[in-house]
Amino acid sequence: MSARNLSTASLSIARVPGVAIVLGALCATFGVMSPGFLTPANIANILTQSTILLLLALPMTLIIMTEGLDLSIGAVLTLASIALAVTVVATGSAPLGFLAALMVGFCFGLGNGVLIAVFDIPPFITTLGTLGIAQGLSLLVTDGQSVVGIPRSIEAIYSETVAGIPVPVVIGALAYAVTHGLLYHTRFGTYVFALGGNREALKVAGISVRGMLIRVYVFGGLMAGFAALLMTARLNSAHPTAGIGMEFDAIAAVAVGGTSFERGNGWLFGTLLGVIAVGVLRNGLNLLAVPSSAQVACIGAIVIIALFIDGQRGER
Amino acid sequence: MARVAVMPLFVLRGISKDFPGVKALDDVSFEIRAGEVHMLVGENGAGKSTLMKILCGAYRADRGSFFNNGEAVTIDDPTAARKFGIAVIFQEFTLVPYLDLAQNIFLGREPAARLPGLIDRRRIYTEAKRVLDMIGFDIDPRIPVHGLGVAQQQMVEIAKALSQDARILVMDEPTAALSDRETELLFAMIARLKKSGVAIVYISHRLSEVFALGDRITVLRDGRKIASLLPVETTPDQLVTLMVGRPVDTTYTRPGRPTAGEIALEVKNLSGSGFSDINLTVRTGEIVGLSGLVGSGRTEVARAIFGADRVTAGEIRLFGQRVEGSAVDSVRRGMALIPENRKTQGLAVNRSVGDNIILVGLRKLFPSGLFMPRRAMKAARAIIDKLRIATPTPRRAVATLSGGNQQKVVIGKWLNADARFFIFDEPTRGIDVGAKAEIFRLLDGLVHNGAAILMISSEQIETVHICDRAYVMRGGRIAGELSHRELTEANIVRLGTHQ
Repeated sequence: MSARNLSTASLSIARVPGVAIVLGALCATFGVMSPGFLTPANIANILTQSTILLLLALPMTLIIMTEGLDLSIGAVLTLASIALAVTVVATGSAPLGFLAALMVGFCFGLGNGVLIAVFDIPPFITTLGTLGIAQGLSLLVTDGQSVVGIPRSIEAIYSETVAGIPVPVVIGALAYAVTHGLLYHTRFGTYVFALGGNREALKVAGISVRGMLIRVYVFGGLMAGFAALLMTARLNSAHPTAGIGMEFDAIAAVAVGGTSFERGNGWLFGTLLGVIAVGVLRNGLNLLAVPSSAQVACIGAIVIIALFIDGQRGER
Repeated sequence: MARVAVMPLFVLRGISKDFPGVKALDDVSFEIRAGEVHMLVGENGAGKSTLMKILCGAYRADRGSFFNNGEAVTIDDPTAARKFGIAVIFQEFTLVPYLDLAQNIFLGREPAARLPGLIDRRRIYTEAKRVLDMIGFDIDPRIPVHGLGVAQQQMVEIAKALSQDARILVMDEPTAALSDRETELLFAMIARLKKSGVAIVYISHRLSEVFALGDRITVLRDGRKIASLLPVETTPDQLVTLMVGRPVDTTYTRPGRPTAGEIALEVKNLSGSGFSDINLTVRTGEIVGLSGLVGSGRTEVARAIFGADRVTAGEIRLFGQRVEGSAVDSVRRGMALIPENRKTQGLAVNRSVGDNIILVGLRKLFPSGLFMPRRAMKAARAIIDKLRIATPTPRRAVATLSGGNQQKVVIGKWLNADARFFIFDEPTRGIDVGAKAEIFRLLDGLVHNGAAILMISSEQIETVHICDRAYVMRGGRIAGELSHRELTEANIVRLGTHQ
């Protein structure tokens, strides 16, 4: 359905999107430089580690398609993770904890959506504000300390496998499938294209622009809640700084994937490739013992390179 | 089909609408009959669009009533309007660029699949194909609309309306961006729709259309209905008088033409995307037309001359000196491009008149780089007086000005930058009948003061009246040059379409 639908694209190299070229180049480089890179175990590792980012980047694609932005998604992830851990530690019930994480995500998503859609506050400002609120609450609740004592049942979500496939990868695949279905096969998805492409078209069709916009941000909040489950399981604790900067990775993955910030021109599969590219980059640089601060700079660089490749071909 | 003349299909009675500070509509009544084309005419700001927005439920009337087949009804949202079969094709299209034709046609009315929320994909494509066939538009409904041309997008809009079983189709200046051939196709389609009993409300600025298509004409002025009459009861001149409220000369004739001087622009063998092997000259004191159908490459040539787009071959000389093909260089040498779309390309609409006027001439005005408000204000006032721009103060936002005055601001901006060669792309598009003459007087004034003008216009009558000579383009090439003596509508059409 995308403008760059793979089936309609010819096979000539000129039509390969920038993100695929970047991903291929990264894999080739790390494959040569580090012998441990192209092993099945490491590939499974990359995919597993990419799932948290994927869960954030999927809704971020939809949000950016509406010409919006969600800077709060990393901080909401953190707060949801803390809500989960605190609830589990207090009640001993993993489902209750998960529900708490989803509630935090839902409330922040709803808050973002209402402020943006009803009160017309620009998304950048709104979510910058809620980023501060979520981050501050995280520090306040935990007093800056980690929340520990997570039961084994939650930890298992990150480490177990189903039919040999790591559970996070299964969750990631499910999340992708659901988002794909939402965007390309439902009325809601069609209206996401219209929110960024031509809001007037929605209005004259009698669709509530505000309602749809709120739903998009609520979707983002809920996905941050799901991601919080994975992150808490992965760290086996909740930490008030764990999600800092995740919004950067998510926005970068969407941008690398070729989704435009204008006119509702989005490409969900590109986001998937973008997430994997970011995961490959982090993993490869880890194998080469590059410090994490330098990794952020590299992510920034690949965003620019991918967009440069697309721009050179007049893709946008 | 026999016309149902007894009972109108839909009636609006005593409609009033206030916006803060403006009475947009005051006690306007309007009748819509099946199988009729009802022309709605009036100057910009007369209330035509507001009335149509009320009809389609986008605005709510403050007062007034609606009757569907004689039965009193209410329209307070688009859904209600759609229920009565009312569909509008706006000038600003309501298409979503990255959805395909079928998705656009069914936007907001997607047929549901078995699961709630899911769309029946197969059905929207077969249905879309059926509607597109009905209007004779042969295209794959899976193509995203962002790649379509204006005429094609309009076809999609019409397909969208028909797919909703529209009985009343409102068209807001549908031919504004169409070529002659496309216009003919549209008129043929309107004739077909009429026959099948569809009522059409047609907003137009073009008098020729009003008389060619209209079965009934309603004139609005300043939010009030001035007249509702049959085409046989009036003449174009009377109609314009009704629209403007005073007699207006529709055929502007230039008082006197200066003699052509030195060569201002010389283009040799210019080729680029959408055109090839272009040769033309423009002398000072001349207004030269660049004519041809929409899509014949006129705008592309103009942009290339200005340096906005790359060229692959050829050269451009301005006052004897070669320009390097960048807009920066062109502006520095005194070239100005006044684009077709003022709002998006020519003006910073939210800024003040003064800010817009001094924008291009900043370097000349403030050589030190330091902004001096008083000097800026003085320069802006000088231009405002010179062009008689109707604004109480340079601080007024450009968006609040009429189309004609906005166009003057664009021209003033370049005058302030000492431009001597002007390219006008459709200078009168979207400008009231009354204000057109003033724009032409302005062009005339420019060439009398030693400037040279290249003017693109889709309205051949304008080219004939205003230009000293004209080049006619066809398929990206210059098909011929017409001297002042040869410059007639017939010759332009002949050169522009001859195979």
